[in-house]
Amino acid sequence: MSAAVPLDTAATKPMKAVYAHMDCLMTGIANLKKAGFTDMMVMTPMPRHEVEDAVYEGEPSPVRWFTLVGATFGLTMALSLMSLTSANWPMILPGGKPVVSLPAFVPVAFEGMVLWASLFTLIGLLINCRLPATDLPEEACDPRFSSDCFGIVLERVSAHDAAKIREILEHSGAIEVEGGEGGGHHA
Amino acid sequence: MKDMSYSDVNKDVLRPLFTPDLAYLAVLTLTLIVLALGGSCWVYQLVYGLGVAGYHPPVFWGVYITTFVFWVGIGHAGTLISAVLFLTRSRWRTGVYRAAEAMTIFAVMTAALFPAIHVGRAWYAYWLFPYPNQRQLWQNFKSPLMWDVFAVSTYFTVSTIFFAIGLIPDIAAVRDATTGFTKKLYTAMALGWRGTDRQWHHYMAAYGFFAALATPLVLSVHSVVSWDFAMADTPGWHSTIFPPYFVAGAIFSGCAMVITLMLPLSLLFNLERYMNVWHFEHLAKLCMFTGGILTYAYFTEYYIAWYSDNQYEWGTFMDRVHGNYWWVFYTMVFCNCLAPLVWWFKKVRTSYIGLFVVSCIINVGMWFERFNIIASSLSHSFDPAGWVYYYPTWVEGGILIMSFAWFFLWFLLFIKIMPSVAIAEVKETMRPPLKFEPEHAAK
Repeated sequence: MSAAVPLDTAATKPMKAVYAHMDCLMTGIANLKKAGFTDMMVMTPMPRHEVEDAVYEGEPSPVRWFTLVGATFGLTMALSLMSLTSANWPMILPGGKPVVSLPAFVPVAFEGMVLWASLFTLIGLLINCRLPATDLPEEACDPRFSSDCFGIVLERVSAHDAAKIREILEHSGAIEVEGGEGGGHHA
Repeated sequence: MKDMSYSDVNKDVLRPLFTPDLAYLAVLTLTLIVLALGGSCWVYQLVYGLGVAGYHPPVFWGVYITTFVFWVGIGHAGTLISAVLFLTRSRWRTGVYRAAEAMTIFAVMTAALFPAIHVGRAWYAYWLFPYPNQRQLWQNFKSPLMWDVFAVSTYFTVSTIFFAIGLIPDIAAVRDATTGFTKKLYTAMALGWRGTDRQWHHYMAAYGFFAALATPLVLSVHSVVSWDFAMADTPGWHSTIFPPYFVAGAIFSGCAMVITLMLPLSLLFNLERYMNVWHFEHLAKLCMFTGGILTYAYFTEYYIAWYSDNQYEWGTFMDRVHGNYWWVFYTMVFCNCLAPLVWWFKKVRTSYIGLFVVSCIINVGMWFERFNIIASSLSHSFDPAGWVYYYPTWVEGGILIMSFAWFFLWFLLFIKIMPSVAIAEVKETMRPPLKFEPEHAAK
């Protein structure tokens, strides 16, 4: 998501807020968005639809296109493989099935479709989630975010905005606010 | 789980990891010994050839194909629980699905050994897959055996991806709770997962698609396995009832195996908060439902054989009741149709002993069901001159036992290396911690 306020990146610092309560986290997200600070990262130990709705506002994930392309590719691949290899070895088998026998190809075509749809979905997941994630800011790597806490990280906070953001985060009920101008501070 | 916090879930699920106690090591050692003994039977067969198996022409499908179908069937419950019940939003799946999914993968890995064992020269197993080769030969894609290669390998691949994707957030939880080399290992496996909004957004979309893709696979794989038989004109096999009958049987046996495995797991590792009577009762109900379908299918098979007025078909079915394999038939009926009836009593299906004993009986019954289908039909086919009594040799018995050791070995390793309960999904079903009651928070 793009920042609403133009920033001088050279003079920015990340800021992290840790929450113990879901409702406080949601208040923090809403108040930051209301103040125009939309360039944030929200960490939760489990998927929460309210967070997804607040951050992505119903925008669907493009992963679905990977699945569709994979399924189409797999179906085409499987049918081509069976038809071309059967035509390459045109043996009329007992039972009198034609060389290219579509009903007999349905099971493998279906399996090929599902296999490639899954593989493409996996690729879509890795690309869109940016996994393996090696460039996340240190602030996002708090072990509490995989246990019992929620977090908001703003990667680029200018000196000009730091005090205002800190106030929003603290006021929303964060148990800890760190970073930005002036170093860490425990609420 | 009302009195539990998110951190309690992490502590409970991560506790059984890494530190094996004496009982665990003893079971692991026993499994390795059985695996070695059973494995030596396979080596013996590789050295001396398939003659050491009890094949009597024309019976060339016996214990190995029976065991293959048995393990593929077991492998159905995991994906059913993880994918189908995910799409139907069944809350009881959360506690048991991770271990059930692992069981699926290990069961399919076990099943995959058997075509290789069955064909004798296991080192040529790669001929099953299509690739440009100097022999200028391609597979016969009109053969149901070829369909099965694609069905089982696709099922294995998709189930493994689904399992691995589900594990990523929990591996991140293990990473954050460990130190030293272990931490490094889990850091690599977690792929940098931090539970960011971006990660969860795309993850949940992909997870839904994986579930939607895996669901028809659950139905298709055992349908395709059933066509290994139903596409042949052998009496007792050539029936359109086979796909639904096999799928119901697979879910029946798979759910029974989930109970057999999860019940001791939950008790031994103090995971009763996540896998308890409530979960096992749901599994038992699923078994009762699919067991009912199976019993109905047994009756229908006999009815159709009688109604068809086909002497070969009816002869084979009567031979199953009165012939050499009468004991196999009655074992199957007792284990699959009669024994599960005790679960209609709530007292039995909510008692650990009642659940465990009946689930073990079902496992036995489902192996005999496949043996009944395979051995009796082949040994009593069209030509009376070809009627023989096939019975397994000690080599086949040893390899059958090896398959159980191989399966349990993977499962034992899994419960010490990976979280047996899905941490993130359990938290998803819990009420999130709130500072204010909802009416105050809205203001």
